[in-house]
Amino acid sequence: MQVDFHAPYKDRVRQALSDPNLRSAVSRATDRMSDARHTSMDSIEGQKLRTQVRQMKEHVLRNWPEYLEQLETNLTSNGCTVHWAEGIEDAQAIVKDIALQNSAKLIVKSKSMATEEIHLNHAMEEAGLRVVETDLGEYIIQLADEPPSHIVAPVIHKRLEEIAEVFQEKLDMPPTREPTKMTSLARARLRQEFFAATMGISGCNFAIAETGTICIVTNEGNGRMVSSMPRVYVAVMGIEKLVPTVEDAYLQLQALCRSATGQNLTVYCSMTSGPRQEGDVDGPEQVHVVLLDNGRSRMFARGYGEALMCIRCGACLNACPVYQEIGGHAYGSTYNGPIGAVITPALAPEIGQFKELPHATSLCGACREVCPVKIDLPRLLLDLRSDLVQQGVSPKSEAWGIKSYASLMSSRRTYESLGKMASIGSNVYAGLSGGNIKFMPPPLNGWTAYRDFAPFAPKSFRHWWRQRKKLRGQT
Amino acid sequence: MSVRDTILSRLKATLNQPDLPFPPQDSDPLTQAERMTVTHAPGDRWAQAERFAQELNAVKGSCELLETETEARLSIISRLQLWQEEEQSARKTANAERAGDWDVLCWPLHQLQIESLPLILKEMGFKLIEPTDLHDPEQRERIRSIRAGITTVEAAFASTGSFVVGGRGANARAASLTPFRHLVVIPFSKLFATGEDWLAQMRFAGQLDAFVRQSRNLSIVTGPSKSADLEGILTMGVHGPKVVHAILFDDVHE
Ligand code: SF4
Repeated sequence: MQVDFHAPYKDRVRQALSDPNLRSAVSRATDRMSDARHTSMDSIEGQKLRTQVRQMKEHVLRNWPEYLEQLETNLTSNGCTVHWAEGIEDAQAIVKDIALQNSAKLIVKSKSMATEEIHLNHAMEEAGLRVVETDLGEYIIQLADEPPSHIVAPVIHKRLEEIAEVFQEKLDMPPTREPTKMTSLARARLRQEFFAATMGISGCNFAIAETGTICIVTNEGNGRMVSSMPRVYVAVMGIEKLVPTVEDAYLQLQALCRSATGQNLTVYCSMTSGPRQEGDVDGPEQVHVVLLDNGRSRMFARGYGEALMCIRCGACLNACPVYQEIGGHAYGSTYNGPIGAVITPALAPEIGQFKELPHATSLCGACREVCPVKIDLPRLLLDLRSDLVQQGVSPKSEAWGIKSYASLMSSRRTYESLGKMASIGSNVYAGLSGGNIKFMPPPLNGWTAYRDFAPFAPKSFRHWWRQRKKLRGQT
Repeated sequence: MSVRDTILSRLKATLNQPDLPFPPQDSDPLTQAERMTVTHAPGDRWAQAERFAQELNAVKGSCELLETETEARLSIISRLQLWQEEEQSARKTANAERAGDWDVLCWPLHQLQIESLPLILKEMGFKLIEPTDLHDPEQRERIRSIRAGITTVEAAFASTGSFVVGGRGANARAASLTPFRHLVVIPFSKLFATGEDWLAQMRFAGQLDAFVRQSRNLSIVTGPSKSADLEGILTMGVHGPKVVHAILFDDVHE
């Protein structure tokens, strides 16, 4: 069963939870990525790397306007064209204009969250342009007409059989579930598009201010293709994706790769500093960089700047027990998982537009433990919840809940012993009411307003986590 | 006010708020001295070359370490022959040879600094394709079916099995990207223990900034193209080369 993206939040979550295939696909994949991350970070001075990346990003945000200006100056002197976009409409219009000016009918695109955020494909298609996603996962979901469900692994929610069905239906693939055959077919099809396309679009994993360089990382090579083969290359980047120096870029690259997939480095990190010059064999003749705000400066002013250090590695999604259960589509937003629950409301014109999302979390703290930039996601989620209460969007009982929760979290022993009592009590109640708890008396109705209250697990998360760690031979 | 100025002034106004919860007032940059080196590859050049091979093998590439330029020349020739035979035997039809089988997409091979290599390859029947303009439809079409590419590198990093390819002048980006197999020739003089070492050396020589800008495009490559998008199953050669074979040879003789 598919999650209906337009259904109300609670229904989406129910749909996701009632799909055992989805749950097993997502939890298997996230476990695999979590394990890989763990091994990879353990094999180096992982803590030091996280501390240093954080220091670098904090410094960037403290000097944000200066670094943006430096990037702009250097991109321009390298021969790139810089565009500034305030929101979705003007970002779409900028990219559309570039396409129209260059009579680009066919556009190849590599995976990018920023372009998802501005619904770029939709806008381009409305203007009569054909956009082809070239990341294998993105290609599959484009064929299936679905949004991505994970920042790094967009098709994490689909099993091989389902992907094979999509290929059979949309690409006339003869019946097979052979991954190598499916990959060869996609390679051949997309190769045609790369050679025919006039324009390539990508996001930007990070931009180096001192040299004016746009960096994109991929494992498949589509990032290199879109930034090398077509005549026109457009990179759409969130204005926060800055690093000061080339060395900082290399440091962040390694933190990103290790946290995302457990690789030392991804297969390709493609760094573009400017268009083709006289005598170059290939490369784009035009390089455009769209600097996208779309709520970032507002989010900064609202006090949620810490989340602007995010390098989109997806580790917090993989570690999140809620994401593992419901997958990405249930969140109903471009960004999902713990980071999505923070930045979706924080970027929106009104945080109340996504009032459910800060509740789509167990606040267990696993996300904070894995984040390569040490972003305190649970605290930001609590801040959002209390802002929602102050704005009158959430019930007052929620504010009481938050305060007690915060004091509980501050003492581990109280938290654990209360947790045990709650486990016993709630399970008795759920047993009586036949499953999940859909209504609780005030002040606890602050919780059930957004979600059913599952009976507490017989074992606490911390208990389970410790056991899991023990099983893996760690302390 | 332009969009640019609006955004920048909004950021500046926020940063001027005295009670802004984040970022902290004293946010120092990470200095060269304190920035860590993430992975390490101790030892002399041979130890580093072995480490490079080990790391590249771990990501499903392959590697040969050779003592002399002469050995490297032989290895390059026999590797290309082997690939050409493999291509033909993979086709099920009899008389499987195709016109393009002998085409090799390459950077000007004198850069490899291996004496008479281009000459020998030509004598053996290989066609060394060095395009001049890949936006020219004819040349673009010509490289489409080429199955093998040869390049050298700007630098290689032992601790991760990575190499850096540039993209300017006669060095086509396509040579390390569009063919099915990439033969990468790395003299020891281009091998560094780590990426950080290479950057430090370039920085110290005052060349880093200009090098990065003037390269137009630099790609750090670590192994053959791959994906795990099909239910986590690793598949190779999605868009870039499926085969990456490195030939390292000692041109330093310390
Ligand atoms: S919040 Fe941290 S863990 Fe989550 S995606 Fe961003 S950088 Fe990665």
